[in-house]
Amino acid sequence: MTRPTSLLALTRRSLTPRSSPSPRILRTGTLLHQHQPQSQIHTTTAAITSKTTTKPRSTPQTPRSHARTYHSEHHPSQPHEYTNSQTTILSAALHHVPTHGFTRNALTLGARDAGFLDVSVQLLPRGEFDLILFWLASRRGLLRSKVESDGLLAGSGSVLSVDEKIQVLLMERLRLNVEVREQWQDALAVMSLGENIPMALSELHALADDIMNLAGDQSVDASWYSKRMAVAAVYAASDFVMTRDTSAGLRDTEEFVARRWADARALGDKLTGVRECLGFMGSTAVGLGRSWGLKI
Amino acid sequence: MLARTSLAASFRPTAGVLDFLAPSTLQSRRLYNSTATNQSAASTTTSAQAPGSKPRYALNAKQREFLDSALRVNQAGELAATLIYTAQTPQVVRSHPHLRPLMKHMYDQEVGHFNTFNHLIAKHRVRPTAMYPVWYAAATFLGWSTGVMGREAAMACTEAVETEIGSHYNDQVREILSWKAEAESRGEELDPELEEMLANFRRIRDEELEHLDHAVENDAKEAKPYDPLVNFIRYGCKAAIKISEKV
Repeated sequence: MTRPTSLLALTRRSLTPRSSPSPRILRTGTLLHQHQPQSQIHTTTAAITSKTTTKPRSTPQTPRSHARTYHSEHHPSQPHEYTNSQTTILSAALHHVPTHGFTRNALTLGARDAGFLDVSVQLLPRGEFDLILFWLASRRGLLRSKVESDGLLAGSGSVLSVDEKIQVLLMERLRLNVEVREQWQDALAVMSLGENIPMALSELHALADDIMNLAGDQSVDASWYSKRMAVAAVYAASDFVMTRDTSAGLRDTEEFVARRWADARALGDKLTGVRECLGFMGSTAVGLGRSWGLKI
Repeated sequence: MLARTSLAASFRPTAGVLDFLAPSTLQSRRLYNSTATNQSAASTTTSAQAPGSKPRYALNAKQREFLDSALRVNQAGELAATLIYTAQTPQVVRSHPHLRPLMKHMYDQEVGHFNTFNHLIAKHRVRPTAMYPVWYAAATFLGWSTGVMGREAAMACTEAVETEIGSHYNDQVREILSWKAEAESRGEELDPELEEMLANFRRIRDEELEHLDHAVENDAKEAKPYDPLVNFIRYGCKAAIKISEKV
């Protein structure tokens, strides 16, 4: 204890992170605490962080729910595999996204807000892409909680068809992106980088799967795939349109979604028609052969 | 120095290795439900249920994957079975009208199984097999071609398919029973969903083996190139099962 106090404080901060928290950190820690109830972003991340694993892990795994394993109320599947500190940093960083975009800057500010050292941004090796993935996954969790807790699809007295529900869900999901509209094209650009494409696509699939599930679709045949692809394609296209939509209440985007969805339906109906026609011709040929006495 | 040690003692570490970077104010807040689910090992969860009942046996990731692919394969198998019977029935019944009730009985049972698995797939959000259209075409062709070859070949086809399917169901039942034994050794119980699934698998297996008996009773062994035909179909089934487990 012979060293000057200021030097001691410095070494404490940089070298012995397990020691007592510096006053600054305490202050920001409580600051974060105050943030919580009033901010929407935090409650929304709680939707997906409510069951966090404690498995130690240096790299965050992306939200794993796209690996559609046996899902049951008795065995709830893990929403994601971020560690606690990763989740804390990412949720705090989301506050800075509207002003700073999906950048390392936002991550650093988020880490500071949560009372971490600046260097702890290295917990997220993918940097801004981790922030984007976290945004996507948390919005997906929020969409689900809107349906399950807030009765998004039950509100209007009449019962919606699956098609209508899908469109409502697509629009609701697009509206969740409005607050980062300015930054969203940059995020799309990051997602389209070569090494990021697989994870971006699997997140897109997870979203499409959730939308189909929430809309109550029960298909168990090959249409399982085509429907999810249609939803994913419509969402991806509309997402881009949304970033440039200046109309009130995203009116243009809503019309765009309706048109694209109608197109997708028309294409699906055509394919079904072709298949049915081929099947009909086949069975007619067999029936004709049988009527001639062939043993087929 | 004294102040430091007392603070360090009050520090409650959470499990994440890198969490030492977090200030202790955050760490001790216990924001996250850290004890609830640990997927790497089958752990116990005492979910809210009637008091006095045993804790539930929680599935680990591997067991989930097993159920996932088991349900996918079973659905594909029952799809194929219904299509095979649909394609065989006209030819077989035409030359042997007395088989009509038997074919109808077997077909109805297969439709029941197919519906069971369709329901389970939708309920548990399992991805159906991507080979669905392929199996559709292949099963129809198999049923149609063996039907053309005559009653004996059709029955040999049934025999080969049901042998494979029966042993496949048997493996699944055995796997779930091993989970049950593990659960009991830990003083836990399987949840009712799994118990119901186990009962379903057993019933379906018995019905499939009953079809096998019917096929043998109806001269399946008399089919003309018996060995090549049966072996071809059996290996085809095995390959289809392996593929459907994955995609």
